[in-house]
Amino acid sequence: MKRILITTIAFLALAFQGVAQDAREITEKSTAAIEFEAMEMATNLYIFDNRGNSRERQVAVATRKFGNTTKTLMRFLSPADVQGTAILIYDYEEKADDMWVYLPSMRRTRRIVSTERGKSFMGSEFSNADMSRPNVDDFTYNLLGEESVNGKPCWKVEAVAKSRDVESEYGFKRRVSYVEKSTYLIQKSELYDRMDKLNKLMTFTDYRKQSNGRYFSYGMEMKNVQNNRRSEMKVSKFQLGTNLDEASFAVSSLEK
Amino acid sequence: MNVNQFITRYRRWLIIVPVIVTLLMLLPLSKAKINPDLMDYLPDGIEANINNDKLEEIFGKFEPILIIFKSDDVLAPKTLNRIYQINNELKYSELVNDVLSIFETKYIRGEDGAMLVDPAVKYIPETDDEREQLRQELIDNPLAYKLFISDDFKYTSIILGANEGVSDEEIFEFINTTLKNNPGSEKVYLNGLPYLRSEVQAKATRDIAILMPLGLIIMLIFLYLSFKERRGVLLPFMVVIMSIVLAMGLMPILGYDLSLVAVLIPIMMIAIANNYGVHIVARYQELNAKNPNWTMVQIVTEALKQLSKPILLTGLTTIIGVMGLIVHIMLPAKQMGIVSSVAIGFALALSLLFIPAIMIKMKKGKPIKAYTTGKKSIIDNLLKWSAKVSIYNPRKVIYIFVSFMILAGLGITRLKVSVNLEKMMPNKHSLRVSTDIADAKFGGTKNINVLFEGEIMEPEVMQAMDRFETQLEEVEGVGSVTSLASVIRIISRSLNEPDSEFYDKIPDTRQAIAQYIEFYSMSGDPEDFEKLVDFDYTKAVLSVQFAATSIDELNRVEFAIRELVSQTPSATLVAGQCLVEKEMANAIVKGQIYSLIFALVAIAILLGLIFRAFSAGLMGSIPLMVTLICNFGLMGWLGFQLDIGNSLLSSIAIGIGVDYTIHLFWRLKYELSLGRSYVEAIQNTLTTTGRGIAINAISVIVGFAVLFFSGMMILKTFAFLIIFSLLLCLLCALILIPAITIITKPKFLLKNGKSISFNQ
Repeated sequence: MKRILITTIAFLALAFQGVAQDAREITEKSTAAIEFEAMEMATNLYIFDNRGNSRERQVAVATRKFGNTTKTLMRFLSPADVQGTAILIYDYEEKADDMWVYLPSMRRTRRIVSTERGKSFMGSEFSNADMSRPNVDDFTYNLLGEESVNGKPCWKVEAVAKSRDVESEYGFKRRVSYVEKSTYLIQKSELYDRMDKLNKLMTFTDYRKQSNGRYFSYGMEMKNVQNNRRSEMKVSKFQLGTNLDEASFAVSSLEK
Repeated sequence: MNVNQFITRYRRWLIIVPVIVTLLMLLPLSKAKINPDLMDYLPDGIEANINNDKLEEIFGKFEPILIIFKSDDVLAPKTLNRIYQINNELKYSELVNDVLSIFETKYIRGEDGAMLVDPAVKYIPETDDEREQLRQELIDNPLAYKLFISDDFKYTSIILGANEGVSDEEIFEFINTTLKNNPGSEKVYLNGLPYLRSEVQAKATRDIAILMPLGLIIMLIFLYLSFKERRGVLLPFMVVIMSIVLAMGLMPILGYDLSLVAVLIPIMMIAIANNYGVHIVARYQELNAKNPNWTMVQIVTEALKQLSKPILLTGLTTIIGVMGLIVHIMLPAKQMGIVSSVAIGFALALSLLFIPAIMIKMKKGKPIKAYTTGKKSIIDNLLKWSAKVSIYNPRKVIYIFVSFMILAGLGITRLKVSVNLEKMMPNKHSLRVSTDIADAKFGGTKNINVLFEGEIMEPEVMQAMDRFETQLEEVEGVGSVTSLASVIRIISRSLNEPDSEFYDKIPDTRQAIAQYIEFYSMSGDPEDFEKLVDFDYTKAVLSVQFAATSIDELNRVEFAIRELVSQTPSATLVAGQCLVEKEMANAIVKGQIYSLIFALVAIAILLGLIFRAFSAGLMGSIPLMVTLICNFGLMGWLGFQLDIGNSLLSSIAIGIGVDYTIHLFWRLKYELSLGRSYVEAIQNTLTTTGRGIAINAISVIVGFAVLFFSGMMILKTFAFLIIFSLLLCLLCALILIPAITIITKPKFLLKNGKSISFNQ
């Protein structure tokens, strides 16, 4: 009897370890499924307040990886007031991002140093952290089970922030993602705040397979269930790879 | 059918009906609830309220609760840690909507070609160097310095708002628990309208729970000492209880919530409602002692015959005085006027019908010694003295009263109207202390908001807001002015070098302003703007924070704001809590004047009618005028401000105080009708009726004195002033009026009109 018990415990421990590894693996695979070395796109950002008023921003984005640094250039196409305003982000593997903003009306580039990536992206419900790839080591992962989203069988993977600093950086304590089993594409994510209350609901739609075999979501929505505001990002153009060279991602190029 | 026959025939009904009415009135009592929201005390349609509502519709309701921490240096790690913990517990609570503090505000600046956005306190300093560095950063940070941290670093504040639907009780219980869970040596003070409400709620509940039983006990003791007989205690006491039940039951029936001044109603009933019954019991004891062979029916009949008229008249004048409150503007005053005049009417009816109906079937009590031994008390000696001075030195008496009145009256010029609601709390109360701190260290507790409408990003509008800021910051008392323009300036400073033409300026083009805002939203929180501008940038609010301890100071700031508004087409609305409070102050003054004039005129007319002479109305008004002038003058001298509580006072004092004069006139007339001289008449009146008047006045004073045990300053002041007023009315009736009578020998006292012939 005793032997059976010990075996069971050992088996269970192994099983849990296996599951835990699975959860992380799933996350890594889902990250890989949407990874690009370089791309260009035009996207519309719609910001809705809780009364249904909306604001629209049209932005052209180019991203390219140089060594360990992913550099992103965003330029406002509309509205007219902010047209030409540009943002340049250097996303380093090991240290905090660098960010520059160019204001055409002042013909001036300024670096922004902000410690809070969990804050809003361009006044939308998306955060700056949502816009870049999360560091897999910042979280511990659990497989919560399986559930279908829109008829697609998904794994329900939970990522829990390892520290309070991580919580501030990402703006959530816990994220539950629904990862489609066949494609490893995240269908939706639930973000829980520090009180462990559901705060935001992110949905990814319109995944399109690109020539390199990876996928890209043409429609993202972030809904804040606490203040009832939501933002949408709709990609109107997408192109794998970019013609822009490293010089185009230099700070000095912003003013050109 | 005379009164006696009526009482004998309908005896059962006269007992059963009031008892049933009282029992029925117990039912609605359970629905009575206290409404501590002072803003509900104003009638609908007040402009300041409408404007506040409009602004709330656009920017949401935010009622700030202020927590102030005090220590020798709030940057000390221990202190800062404690406040940080409290800050976080508050911030992450579901009850709390928003938290502002040094831990939540940002430090935005330009440095080495970069704009830096950090939390104002990045980490808690551990070494002295770090502490001093943080101190310097905070001094340089316009989003923190003097807003959340005082210039001497002894005070820091957390401002929070409760979520919608969270009650004052819930939020303060949570705040208090949070403070308790994070103990420390720092002193903590609370402020804000929600706190005032919760304190009023707590104190009014406590007052009703403590003061009413206390008042009743004191009244029982007083009645026992006066009559030394069980029926002498129980009969007037029953009247008091029944009229309190009627008054408090009427409130929910009429749809009134108990206001903060409604606490006064039961106390007032304790003080007033026993008066009429006391007279009847006293007369019964007197008749019983003097006529040992009389039956109860004979005694009651005689007592009623002698007393029903003066009791009815004094009751009516009290009701009319209290009815003066109905023309007051403040709703609680109106409600109090209606309810208490009905209840006093009830007490009057009970005393004249219910008490006799019970008494006639009672066994006769033993005669009370005091009436048979003729022992002289202090009161008797004082009355003798007052008769002496008023008869032999009438002019001196008048001079003394007039000079006292002038001296006291000069204080009226110093009388101020209260615009500071926290003054209703005791001196050392957290609300008082924190208001003083906020006024001295954080730019004040008053707030006026200006709404701007139009294309907010147009330089014209933004520069107008900026002009408001610079000009208003020059106005004395103004602590801070905040609008989107201040944020634009902060951005311009962090974006441009100090030698740049754009540094610390509102840009000239709409594009530049839009781009500044876009730039800020890359690093800041969109909610940072939410309280300053609406979603589509067509409405913005400019908020002026200032300190004002009087209406003049408030007017100065308001005037400066309104002048700027009149020159600025895009500034469309001026609103603010303090403007509602100002309207309230105005309503208090106007209401006070209305109810005063109403009561004075009505009572003068009533006196004129009773004694059938215009001069009686005039002369009877003298004690009231003297009392009013001295009362308001004393308030001026002592620095008591006119507030919602004491604005009710004069009507009540007039209503009660005039009784003494009526009793006096009545007896004088009777004495004179017996052919006695003025000197004899005055002597007799003061030593007989004078005694009743004095005892009556003392019982009312004792009743109101219970209010000294109130937890609210406003009610303590009320107690002090009404006692002062009633004493003055008493002195006027016992000394001044006899002195004037000796000199003027008024004709109306000699006239033997039918309506006033009664045997006393």
